[in-house]
Amino acid sequence: MSEFLMYLTNGIVMGVIHAISAIGVSLIVGIMKVVNFAHGELYIFAGYFSYHLSISLGVPPLLAMPLSVFFIFLVGIGMERTLIRPTYGDEMYSLIITFVLSIVLQNAALLIFGPYPNKPPNLISGATNIFGLYHYGNQRLLSFFISIGILVFIFYLIKKTWFGKSIRAVSQDRGMASLVGVDHYRVNMLSFGLGAALAGTAGVVIAPIFPVTPTGSSAISLTAFVVVVLGGMGSLKGCVVGGLILGMMENLGAAYISTMYRQIFGFIILILVLVFRPWGLFGQKTQ
Amino acid sequence: MLEVKGINVFRGEAQILWNMSISVEQGEIVTVLGANGSGKTTLVESILGVHHPKMGKITFLGEEITFRSSFLIARMGVSCVPEGRRIFKDMTVYENLEMGAYPMKARSFLKETVGWVYSLFPVLRERGGQIAGTLSGGEQQMLAIGRALMSKPILLLLDELSLGLSPKITKEIYGTIKKLHQEKVTILLIEQNATLALRHCYRGYILETGRITLQGTSQELLGNEHIRKAYLGL
Ligand SMILES: Nc1ncnc2c1ncn2[C@@H]1O[C@H](COP(=O)(O)OP(=O)(O)OP(=O)(O)O)[C@@H](O)[C@H]1O
Ligand SMILES: [Mg+2]
Repeated sequence: MSEFLMYLTNGIVMGVIHAISAIGVSLIVGIMKVVNFAHGELYIFAGYFSYHLSISLGVPPLLAMPLSVFFIFLVGIGMERTLIRPTYGDEMYSLIITFVLSIVLQNAALLIFGPYPNKPPNLISGATNIFGLYHYGNQRLLSFFISIGILVFIFYLIKKTWFGKSIRAVSQDRGMASLVGVDHYRVNMLSFGLGAALAGTAGVVIAPIFPVTPTGSSAISLTAFVVVVLGGMGSLKGCVVGGLILGMMENLGAAYISTMYRQIFGFIILILVLVFRPWGLFGQKTQ
Repeated sequence: MLEVKGINVFRGEAQILWNMSISVEQGEIVTVLGANGSGKTTLVESILGVHHPKMGKITFLGEEITFRSSFLIARMGVSCVPEGRRIFKDMTVYENLEMGAYPMKARSFLKETVGWVYSLFPVLRERGGQIAGTLSGGEQQMLAIGRALMSKPILLLLDELSLGLSPKITKEIYGTIKKLHQEKVTILLIEQNATLALRHCYRGYILETGRITLQGTSQELLGNEHIRKAYLGL
């Protein structure tokens, strides 16, 4: 029983991290109709940055994390301005560009960081007894609470701030948004940066638990796409619920069926959703 | 206040507007009448910076805006009720109104303007928290007007206000237009319903296949034989 609860907890911890990563993809798809295939690379770059900032440069880990995320945010903004902006209106073109970029970045990561996983230092050590049932690593608990904090922040940002409202307006009717005075170029740029920063956030939060590797990036992108499709395009709530479902299925499946199939569970869910509910759990049915 | 001088506007390869000139003075209500496909919406969208003319010039408050982006023109105090309403369907009624007050200047008096819009359209107050896409057609039109007013516009462009509305709601909405006019909002009114439009404006232009073919005061236009036949069905 306590073993089951532990796997479940692992699933929930992974689930919120999946959710953060997936919201990054979902925002960019919703606002710009661009699928960012380089999402996973941004995620692992952030993980490596936080490692090198804290291990090689001696920056305190708690500072190295937001610094890495900020850096990825700037990378995202740079990507939008140089590569993505000229492609607006041509979804095929942006798809090819981000796909190529993903391969380039993956190889760059191999060259720069090498093929080995690098684990940033834990922020906290030890374990906590959960309700007298089982012990759970403090680092994982901390990652969990940071993730929850970030999710709350994102919901607040999107639902309550002017920036969030302008994002929603642009994703519903870009032309109308500019007719009420929204600078949609700026919204595109900042939301691409935000999407990248969310990939980076997931990367730095997970790196102390599961060290990132350059070759893991495609699976990370795929996981995020699965969660977005599962939850429903354009739904933040869907990303959270989808992330949790996938996280739990992966962990329980790996524990009770086989670790070999960890990746497969995502695909099984994806196929089931596409067959039975193609608009996802919370998405809107069109036509 | 608004001056459109000899613009030629294309959509894709097709030329839609030909050497078109109109002007609107401070405090006026001016109407543009024309059949389906004559280019009324294209004219409005050119003023709003959605389409940029190949030739000619558009000035607003003495500044040239011919090639300015829409969002900058909106921030100068030009707002619109576009064809098809285009409310933000997945946002609440209140959030739609907030979006109307997006320009910095408008945000500072948001509370006040919301109160004003609610007093013009009390039904919007009742529906404040409702998702805008679930409003009825008439309510959506009121919301689109309310949103356009939220920036306290200097110039208001109205594209086919009455389309799809019952005569009763149309009458109500035109009542509101009168009130707005008393509050010194300048209005450019696009209508298919010529009787309605001419009853509410000072001056009008007749648009036929992308060209202005006639202009005059509403009295002159109401008395014109061609207009009586083609637009008023008399
Ligand atoms: N995207 C486009 N590409 C090419 N031509 C277009 C495009 N959109 C509209 N047109 C053409 O431009 C002309 C003018 O259209 P516009 O919408 O301005 O007319 P309108 O006077 O507003 O008509 P309505 O009364 O039906 O709203 C029409 O002949 C239309 O077919
Ligand atoms: Mg039209």
